[in-house]
This record gives sequence, structure tokens and C-alpha cells, in this order.
Amino acid sequence: MTSRLMIVDDSNTIRNHIARLMVDSRLPGIEIVGLAGDGRKAVEMAGRTRPDYITMDLTMPHMDGEACIGEIAKLLPDARILVVSALSDKATALRAIAKGAHGFVHKPFSDETMIQSLLELMS
Amino acid sequence: MNYRALNPEDIQVFSEAISTFFERMTQKPARVRTAYMLDQPETILWNDFNGVIQVSGGFRGAVSFSAPQGLLTEVLAAMGETEQSEENFLDVAGEIANILSGRARRHFGEALDIATPLSCVRQGAVIAQLAEGPAYAIPHTWGPHEAHLVVHLDLIQRR
Repeated sequence: MTSRLMIVDDSNTIRNHIARLMVDSRLPGIEIVGLAGDGRKAVEMAGRTRPDYITMDLTMPHMDGEACIGEIAKLLPDARILVVSALSDKATALRAIAKGAHGFVHKPFSDETMIQSLLELMS
Repeated sequence: MNYRALNPEDIQVFSEAISTFFERMTQKPARVRTAYMLDQPETILWNDFNGVIQVSGGFRGAVSFSAPQGLLTEVLAAMGETEQSEENFLDVAGEIANILSGRARRHFGEALDIATPLSCVRQGAVIAQLAEGPAYAIPHTWGPHEAHLVVHLDLIQRR
């Protein structure tokens, strides 16, 4: 069974880095269905591509990650969202989880941490 | 209002953020060299590409990360990025500023009001003086390249 993954980050290099990690790590059955650089585009893309899993930055233009998580949680209640953010204080993490996130990875992340966190999200 | 300059532990937070970025994103650690106080009161953008955060709300000043194109070229390659463009050099500088912002928020608390991190190519430009205390430069060596972290912050102590 294929797991559909969407990557949301306003950094082009971080989006591509996560996508490459997924390809290089050869995690079975992951299909990247979309890359979005801001929250508004992410909500639109989520409605269209219906991902099962999402990595989500918080600090983004147009619509920030917290608002985006709230919108996507309403749109796709079964989607599991992993926040990937440099905002590493506890209050931020708790707010994101309250909005509907399921996990939190602090930037900068190691390849191993990202892969392990995604595996936990998918388990 | 009264202003207090940063202590070494405050400065170390930013330096560790830079070191962690290199270690985790490139698997190649940066060497942090001895910090020194700058003569000039403004924050100088030293190199080709710069990431900057400006703060207020209980604090005032700016923190910048400044790197030459050669360093960012190798960082992008280490991250597996094949497109070596000015847009991506700025993207990495901005991402480092973003990480500095996150670490600052965690260390100093939510009273720290941080403007959206920005990245720019203005080598030799200065950020208008925002802090009264001294600015510190912390060189970071990564491979043959040298980048600079400049921390110029005051902590405002209200009486």
C-alpha cells in the first residue's frame, strides 16, 4: 500500500532535501504527492492530492503553519502531520499539536532524525 | 529603561545554532573560533550572502549570519541540492537566520519579539544601529571557508 506524502516548507532547499531523503532512504511505499512553499498553497494542494502524511514548516508566508494545520485537519481529518520547524520552544509545539499536528522535529534536523520521525508518524 | 549587554552564555546560544546546522545538514562540523568585540557600532553584513534577524520586545538589536558564496555552494552540494543559484544561496542564509530566530526564542523566552528573518546579498552594507552595547563577531570555519556570526543585542531591563 502506498503512503502519500506532502512536504510543506517555505525553504526550497529544505523541501528538496526532505524529498531527496525519502527517495534515497528507500522507505517502502512512499509517494511524494506535492511540495508547497506556503500555507495557502499547501491547503489547496492537500485538497487536490489528499496526502496521508504531511511535513509542515511553521514560519511561512501567506498562511503560517499553525493556521495551515488547522485548515488541513478540517479538510483531511485522517492525515497525520509532522511539524518541522526551527521554532523549538514548548509553547509552539503544544499549540501545533492542539491544532492537529502529530509530531514535531526541530530544525536543523539530521537525516536519521527525519527518517525515524516519519517512520513513527506512519506506524 | 536600562540596557544590559549580552553575557557569554547568551552569545553561545547563537554560535551553537550555527554549529548544529552544519553538523546536521552537511554532516561536516564547523569550527567555532574565538569571539571578538567589533569596533564599529553597526552590524556589518560581511560576506556575499546574509541572513538577519532583528529583535525587539524586551530586547533590541540584530543577529546576522554572513557567508561567502563558496561556502554556500558546498553546503548546497552537501545537502544534495544540484541547483547552485543565487535564490538557493539566499534560501540557505535565510534558513540559518530562521534557526537563529528559533534558538533565540527558546533561550530568551516569548518576550523576545523577532521580525521575520530576512536574507540579502548586500555585502558591505550595515544594519542601522539598534543596540547600544557592543557587537560581537564569532568566526566559524567550515572546510576552507569562513563565515561570520555577528551578535548585537541589548537586553532591556525595565525598572
